[in-house]
Amino acid sequence: MEQKLRSEARALLEQGKVDYIFGYEPGSLKFTTTPLLTRDKNDVDRLVVNPFIVNNLAKFLTELKGRVGIVVKGCDSRSLVSLIQDNKVARGNVVILGVPCEGLIDLSKVEKLVGRERDELDDILREGDKVFVTVDGKKREFPIADVAFDKCLACELPTPKEYDILLGAPTSPIGQKDAGYTAIDNLKGKIPQERWEFWKKEFSRCIRCYACRNVCPACFCQRCFVEETEPKWVEPTANWQDNLLFQVVRNIHVAGRCSDCGECERACPVKIPLRALTREMYDIVGELFDFKTGMDKNEPSLMTHYEKEEAEGLIR
Amino acid sequence: MANMKINKKDLVQLLGQWSQEFELFVPSRDGDNPRFLPWDGKDTGFLDWYRNTVIPPKSTMLPPVEEMFRFQKEKGKVQLEAPSADSKRRLLFGIRPCDANAMTLLDKNFEDGYEDPYYFNRRKNTLLVGLACTRPYDSCFCTSMGGSPSDASKVDIMLTDIGEQFLVEAVTDAGKDLIAKTGGLEEATEADAARAEESRKAAERKVTRKVDTSDITERLRASFEDKEFWEKTAAKCVSCGICTFLCPTCYCFFINDETNKQCGVRCKGWDSCAFSCYTRMPMENPRSEKWKRVRQKMAHKYEYYPMTYGVMACTGCGRCIRNCPVNWDITQVIKSVPAKARVESK
Repeated sequence: MEQKLRSEARALLEQGKVDYIFGYEPGSLKFTTTPLLTRDKNDVDRLVVNPFIVNNLAKFLTELKGRVGIVVKGCDSRSLVSLIQDNKVARGNVVILGVPCEGLIDLSKVEKLVGRERDELDDILREGDKVFVTVDGKKREFPIADVAFDKCLACELPTPKEYDILLGAPTSPIGQKDAGYTAIDNLKGKIPQERWEFWKKEFSRCIRCYACRNVCPACFCQRCFVEETEPKWVEPTANWQDNLLFQVVRNIHVAGRCSDCGECERACPVKIPLRALTREMYDIVGELFDFKTGMDKNEPSLMTHYEKEEAEGLIR
Repeated sequence: MANMKINKKDLVQLLGQWSQEFELFVPSRDGDNPRFLPWDGKDTGFLDWYRNTVIPPKSTMLPPVEEMFRFQKEKGKVQLEAPSADSKRRLLFGIRPCDANAMTLLDKNFEDGYEDPYYFNRRKNTLLVGLACTRPYDSCFCTSMGGSPSDASKVDIMLTDIGEQFLVEAVTDAGKDLIAKTGGLEEATEADAARAEESRKAAERKVTRKVDTSDITERLRASFEDKEFWEKTAAKCVSCGICTFLCPTCYCFFINDETNKQCGVRCKGWDSCAFSCYTRMPMENPRSEKWKRVRQKMAHKYEYYPMTYGVMACTGCGRCIRNCPVNWDITQVIKSVPAKARVESK
């Protein structure tokens, strides 16, 4: 897949079909990748496709000018389509290089399972449904379902639906959907008071770095409500009440735009389980509106579209 | 004063003693969010997992949210109420050399012009007991910033792992006073000193990330107008606050009034030059474009701080590298700043 990506990317640049290639290259730390944005065809040999391509690159499209050849996984492609629906990205300005995704490895799960931190691991190797982790020279085997991100376990559409070039054969979901709902199910098992206490504790840790918002492709507002001072909707200070309010409003704003890429939760430096909110919202949207994010670029955006027949007593 | 030592298993008694006199902070897991929190008085379990905290110990001097004062308007008159000051002395146990070094860098800013009472009330009231590193991260680069995993120069007392025990070294007068009245310590032998030296060297060998910062100040100055370089460097940055908030030397804060009709509270909170709305309260952000904010971050650390205070505002703790959601690696950026001006200054 990597070879195909590199040759396709090179051809796109050489033929002048794109101004940039936007993909992933090896990160500076073990078992990481980092976004690679380049106009130089000599850089394409650095492009990689592996179980660590975590970033949702669609996030950057609203700030890029020109035509971009962009590498997307299933979830990313739906964020991208959602941006097209919202007129934030023109379809003609992107050449979509689709990665049929086999699920990404959640390093924090690996760290917990082996009791060592990322940089102390010798090797992580994915082979089919198995992941081999070598620590202190000893190789341990885990099923992918134990070490994949929750969002990957819950993923229904690992292969991009919208693409120009598909880089490999379509993949199927990991097939452990319930396992991807563990955090949400635990919360649903609580009584409201317990749930409130849970979120109060979680949001007490928030430092308002806004990484959750800034890595999110659906958070494309030029100026976020949280930064408005006249009127001041939310205090900028990191009090748990304001932190919670910020996240709740953000969640409502991305309803129908969130593709459950899980980047908010992964980016959070204080490990607030944000996906328990966003995935729940994703499912509520599905239930209420029979709508899934980013399925069809010709379909209107859920929250900005309105049919006369939908009129209720409240809105005339 | 001769160096002392203590058995690791007796550390809990040592902390017990100290917690009588001090409000004692230790590395705490706090769920999955390691930071310095008041000791629970129970154990020293943190020794098993502690490499460094995610939230830097600056949070004990410069908390993410801080009340400056309360105000109330009554019959046309405004009443102010100062927050209650911490009276008990505080002790930070287990601070890493890079973070202790960062405290001295924060001092320079908060004593410049006038002494910031909020910061220094805590800073001067706190003893730092360092714990030399044995397991530096692959993202650590303290040795490139003039530090080392065992540098004892910025703490009051330094502990170094020598196997079953810690070597205990009193560095400052305050540290010596405390050690003098602390029970349960044994005098260290020459063999212990040798073991400590071995431990220091072993840790230093593990710091493999190296970056040459000898001419970074000049290179940054020469590259100020190099928009092409900075745009490329900033391309993958998402402008979140992780690297600055988790940086032990970043100190930017905003001031915000939280009001409720006739009364309210004036708060300080962590702010970040990475934010597009930074400084928006007094005016618009002069660095509205991302590449200017990334340049500012680099220049503040490696150009303006050395120019103003003679020292770089970075200790190589590596938090910004470990925690960046896009792996924007500051050491790679330091390396990549052009050696000569490619664009003429205006």
